[in-house]
Order: sequence, then structure tokens, then C-alpha cells
Amino acid sequence: MLEIKNLHATVDGKEILKGLTLRVGAGEVHAIMGPNGSGKSTLSYVLAGRAGYDVTGGSITYKGEDLTALSPDQRAAKGVFLAMQYPVEIPGVTTLTFLKTALNAQRRARGEKEIDAVGVLRMVRETAKTLNVPEEMLKRALNVGFSGGEKKRLEILQMALFQPVLAILDETDSGLDIDALKLVAEGVNALRSPERAMVVITHYQRLLTYIVPDRVHVLAKGRIVAEGGKELALKLEAQGYEQIVKDAA
Amino acid sequence: MNAIVLPHRKVEDWKYSDLRGAVDAEAVSIAPTAAWSIVAAKGDADIDDLPAEVPFGEHGAMAPVATSLATAGPSVRVRAGESAEIEFELTEPGHGRALIVVEDRASLTLIEKVPPSGFSNIASEIVIGKNASLTHLRILPGNEAVRVSDYAIAIAEGGTYRAHLADFGGTLSRTELHVALEGEGAEAHIFGVGVMSDRHADVTTHVSHASGKTRSTQLFKCIAAGHARGVYQGKVTVAKGADGSDSRQTAKGILLEDRAEIDLKPELEIFADDVKCAHGAAVGDLDAESLFYLRSRGIPESEARALLMRAFIGDAIDQIKDGKLRQAIWEVVDRTLERLA
Repeated sequence: MLEIKNLHATVDGKEILKGLTLRVGAGEVHAIMGPNGSGKSTLSYVLAGRAGYDVTGGSITYKGEDLTALSPDQRAAKGVFLAMQYPVEIPGVTTLTFLKTALNAQRRARGEKEIDAVGVLRMVRETAKTLNVPEEMLKRALNVGFSGGEKKRLEILQMALFQPVLAILDETDSGLDIDALKLVAEGVNALRSPERAMVVITHYQRLLTYIVPDRVHVLAKGRIVAEGGKELALKLEAQGYEQIVKDAA
Repeated sequence: MNAIVLPHRKVEDWKYSDLRGAVDAEAVSIAPTAAWSIVAAKGDADIDDLPAEVPFGEHGAMAPVATSLATAGPSVRVRAGESAEIEFELTEPGHGRALIVVEDRASLTLIEKVPPSGFSNIASEIVIGKNASLTHLRILPGNEAVRVSDYAIAIAEGGTYRAHLADFGGTLSRTELHVALEGEGAEAHIFGVGVMSDRHADVTTHVSHASGKTRSTQLFKCIAAGHARGVYQGKVTVAKGADGSDSRQTAKGILLEDRAEIDLKPELEIFADDVKCAHGAAVGDLDAESLFYLRSRGIPESEARALLMRAFIGDAIDQIKDGKLRQAIWEVVDRTLERLA
């Protein structure tokens, strides 16, 4: 589904990704772990198509198509979803209006029929209940005044609503207490399916206790330096990044 | 007759609105008296021609020109305790005068529309009585007109003036509000939005807190594209002895292109001891991070830009209490934003 080959990418002219290769198949959950500054967030932004994150070499193929040729909104309509580490606060746009606008923009781009306000509200309410998102939150401006945990829950709510094909979760565990973490993990696990691939980016092993990955990759200095099964995450937790990165060099 | 000297950019108050560059002084001197019609009137109000004696409050440079050249104009009076809603349209451009009196405990909603072209210069006197209220809507469509409207507004004890201005720009478009909070507890709340491409819109205000416990709020939001120029000059003075007064001023702008310009100039002069005053102004771009967030959720760029612009000016429009009028302004705003995005 997703094939990244020898990817080089720069941010503000500085090379951050230096020959990254990764293959993710349908139905699989891959974890990408790495120390601070290894390029984890850069990878997520490059996949989502953020301006200023420029691919300078290699390729990203998604469902057989060159992903880099698509705008961020085209990627979303084709099923790419990035749950962000720092969801943006947008005063003046209510959460529900945002969800309806986004859902229908994606549907329109795919040639599907738009859903009316009542229909969207019904869909959002169902998902909100399972994620413990209070209805009152949906009436507030998007992410404005939300706690860290509320913002992350809203990201997962969006993921459940948009039903993406490829979901990238960037440090979804950061800033969450253990109860919030379990809730978010449950929400993510409920979305695991044979048609859907997930890339879970995290600094700590903690999240992977709840979202058990099929493969674990270690990202350091812009490249994947080690790969393994879920036990690799435990080894990282025990030994720290330093040894594994050194062994790989 | 003496030649008219038009204010120009070397005159401090007109620095950002060069009237001399927008219209010919000769054309101004021979402009006719403006014609009005009443589109709709509800409730109880006396509508008549101007009386022989019309007060003349604090005004800017063009009001004396209007007063000396206009030969007629409308007068509206809402008698004590009555209420009315009146929609006016300026059907023929030119010099004009108007007198609006809202007597004690009366209330009036005044909706103003302007002609699509030509030069107009209107000086209006507004008198708001004790515990009376006036809600004043000015919707100025985007067009090639050169328009100056200058209001002197005197508010007695406990009276309230609410203004909602939506200006989509002209060749030169200037609204001056000179508000005198004369009686204790008088209030003025002024909300303005300017949305335009390649056009000009200027709101210049002077709110004078002459008595104690008076309140004023001003909120201006401006979006400028192309060669547009948006101007807000707002001066607040709090007189000696006007203790317990409260004044707030916020003006913000978004520049969509480098060639556009937004000039925000809030000013504050305080001579009283015990007052609360706050003012702030900022001009910026559409937030790139917000734009990316919306696009990453599938919202195409132009739609995402329109959504962010709508959110930016929304708090100034949502102050309009009447749902129908609010909706009417939103419709023009949405149409304009669609083009700008």
C-alpha cells in the first residue's frame, strides 16, 4: 500500500530524511520509533504534504500512485490521514462545522454524495460517544481551549469519521495520562482492519503496549537503522536508543 | 463661490485616504444634492424634510462642504417611548444632510444603503435621548463610487448606539463616526468589517467619553487583497471627571497579497483618573499552520482559505443581534470571500 524508497527530504533547505526506505502493506500496523530529532515528524509531514517539507530524492508510492504529486487535500480524499502531534487551534470555526466541511470535501473529491448536517451530526455523535468526547466540545471552536487529551481524542474521532486507508499517528501518546492513552488506543484498535494500514510514530514504547504493532522500525538520523517485530520496542525501552543506533552504524 | 480644497494625504486625518486624488474638486463643487428614498419603514416614526434649524456636532473636514452645498435632506424622529425600523437608500449621489432623532426611551433600527457609483458626501446628525437606543447598519457594496459619510452622534444619559459597518470598498470609501457619550451611563458599540480586493475602505472614529460610567467598544476586522487599502483610525478621549468609564478598541487585519495595505491607528487620550481602557491592533497573513491542518483533512485550498477568513471576521459580524440582518451581511461576505480565496 505504501512504499517509500530511498527518501530524501529537506526542511527549510536542511536535509532531515537521508535515504529512508519503508514498506507498509494493507492490514498492517507499523511502529516508527526514534530519538528526538531523528526525523519522525518530518516523515509524517512529508507524507501529508506540508509546504516547506520538500522531497529532494527517492519516491513515495501509495496504492501505486506517486504520493508527492498530490496536494494535501487530494491525499486526504484518497484516504491518507495524519493524526497530528500538535493539532492546531482554529478560533471562529466550530468543531462540528469543521468535521462536516472536511467530510463532505473528501466525499465530493471522490465523487460521492455529500451528507447533510443531520446525517453528519448522527455520525459524529456515535463516534464521540465511544471516544468519550462530550457533545459540548463539538460546539466549541476547533481545538480552542481543549486539553491535550481532548485534542488527541478529537484527532482519533476524525480518523474514525473519515475512515482512512492509511493512517499516520504522530506522537499520539504525547501529553496523555494513562486513562486517556488507553481510550485513544482503544479507538485506534477499533479501526484496525484488513483494508487499512497504520503507521504509529512514537518516542516511547508505552503506546505500543496498547497498540501492538506488526513491525517496529527504528529511525535515526533520517534513516531506518533497525527493524524487527514487536519485541524490538521492548528492547529499545530496556537499552535506550544509543546502543541500537550505534550497533546499526 | 470659493474653490473647495479637498483633504489629501498630507492632512493627518486623511493620510490613508487621499480624497483629492480620488475626485476632482471642480466636480465636487458642482455635485447636486443627493436624493433619498425610503425602502421600508416599520413602527412609529415621523419622516420629513430637514427642519430649518439643524444642529451641527463634531465633524470631519468634508461635513461643512456637505452642509453648505446640500439644499435638502431627510429627517427622522422617533417620539419618546416609540420604536421603529427604517431602511433608507441613497438613490442619487451628491451632497446630503440628514437628521435622526431618537427621543427618550425610544428605539430605532436604521439600515442604510448607498448608490453604486458617483461621488457622495453626506453629513448626518444623530441625537439619541435618555435611555433610547439606535442600531445603525451600513452596508456598502464593493463598487467604483467615491463616498464620504460623516456622522455626529450625541448620546444622552443611559442611551445606546450600536453600529454595524460592512464595507466592501469603493474607489474611496470613508465613514466617520464622531460619537459623544454625553450623559452618564451612555454606551457606544461599533463593529466594522472590511473585505475587499483592489478597493479602499476607511473607518475613522472619535469616541468621546464626556461623562462618568460611559462605555464604548470598537471591533474592526479587515481583509485586503490585490491593491486594496483598509484603514481604521480610532480615537478615544476620556474627559476629566468621566470616572468609571470603560473603553475597548480592537482592530485586526489580514493581508492576502503584498501589494495590499492595511493601516490601523488606535489612539487613546485619558484625562480622567479612574477608567478602564484597552486597545490593540495587529496585521498579519492567513495562518499557514491552520491552512495546512484544514487541507490535510481534505478541504481544498480555496475553501480552506475562505473558511479561515470567515472565522477571522466572524466575531465582528456575529454582534448583529437581528438574525435576518446578520444573515444578509454574511451573504455578501461569503460571496466576496469566495472571490478572494
